Amino acid sequence: MSDTLNYPDVTQWAVPFFIAAILAEFLWIAIKGRGGRYETRDAVTSLIMGAGSVASGLALGVIAWGFFMILWQVTPLDLGTSVWVILLCFVLDDLRYYWVHRLGHRVRWVWASHVNHHSSQHYNLTTALRQTWTGTFSFIMIVRAPLILLGFHPAMVLFVGGINLVYQFWIHTEAIGKMPRWFEAVMNTPSHHRVHHGRNPRYLDCNYAGVFIIWDRLFGTFVPEQAHDRPDYGLVHNIGTFNPIRVAFHEWVSIFKDMTQPGLSLKQRFLYALAPPGYSHDGSRDDSATIRAKHLKRHPEDQGTAGFDRR
Amino acid sequence: MPLEILVTMVVCGVVAIAIILHMSGRSAVVPLTEDSATRAWLRHSPDSAVQSARPAATGHAALVTTEQGMGIVWCFGADTIARPLDTAKIEPHPKGLCLRFADFSTPSVTIILSSEERAVWKDAITAAPSPTVLSQKTG
Repeated sequence: MSDTLNYPDVTQWAVPFFIAAILAEFLWIAIKGRGGRYETRDAVTSLIMGAGSVASGLALGVIAWGFFMILWQVTPLDLGTSVWVILLCFVLDDLRYYWVHRLGHRVRWVWASHVNHHSSQHYNLTTALRQTWTGTFSFIMIVRAPLILLGFHPAMVLFVGGINLVYQFWIHTEAIGKMPRWFEAVMNTPSHHRVHHGRNPRYLDCNYAGVFIIWDRLFGTFVPEQAHDRPDYGLVHNIGTFNPIRVAFHEWVSIFKDMTQPGLSLKQRFLYALAPPGYSHDGSRDDSATIRAKHLKRHPEDQGTAGFDRR
Repeated sequence: MPLEILVTMVVCGVVAIAIILHMSGRSAVVPLTEDSATRAWLRHSPDSAVQSARPAATGHAALVTTEQGMGIVWCFGADTIARPLDTAKIEPHPKGLCLRFADFSTPSVTIILSSEERAVWKDAITAAPSPTVLSQKTG
């Protein structure tokens, strides 16, 4: 069983490409006068969040790596390092990403880490880099355990995970409309991911895919972009700060405040951490299902249309 | 990649992008009008019924009166933020008023107001009932 295996850190090597692509997208928007919006402080905040995410990965990555190496010592399986194994690992890791991402929107403890990626009211290539600093604290690395126990080396699992993240960079743009039909059917695209970032009631909690949109189609969470309902980006309850510290930690602070308020049962305290975002013990807040129901009350004509046909 | 090269590239990239965006006018605030303030409020709180929106002379913020009470919309970069005023603390500020919220993600906002506006806004905020709390769901 091989213990040492080295793959390039693709997210770090992609940094020059990220910077060049952001400048190219901005120039395109400036010249064409369409295809998205940029705002200085929003973009700088996103870029700082991206840099901080890399830094936190360097500082805290050892925790996840140690956990993965323990699993690697435990498992009797070793699938090797052939190209086919790497490709299989990539596909299975994308399935892993789908569920991690879905949990990231449906479990507040994980949402606290992921929320900052959705906290911009813009949608451009800098938004892709607005990444979490607190992923380690969500313990979501556990979802990678089955891959390692199946015999995929931890270094390979992290390598394909990096490729997955790099793929997702280019889909954070309004400069690209729709890709060819076959591509839209199989792959995650700017159109599908714009929907995921929409705060419109129609678009809440859908399109969790990383690379292959087939997972959303398979598990019933796919919603196509509607020409008459353009995605409105950001959070349902948008945050009023460009301070990266507040962006990174605001939901954790909210969880702490909610869990420690007086007069709650133990179950209610846990639900403030583990229930979907929008849970409240007294019903004073709206979760995504309630938001959709309220929208349909205002707009009954939308009943049964895309995004409102989910159970 | 060597760490010093990565750090240099990131710092230079962020600074270059910030300068290009700022020099091309991407730091400008889009002033609020009565109409745009109303639309902005309804975007954040679609269930409420707006009775009036009163933009400040600068256009950087607007007081919004709804059937449920009073709130504020302010420019946030090229976008807006809206909050009800029921939990806000109002403090005088050399440039106008400072509103403080019990919210780590939106701790405060300074509204630039003339001395005449300052008195009118303060009276309006303290006299009016506040709307029920906006949806807290952030997802």
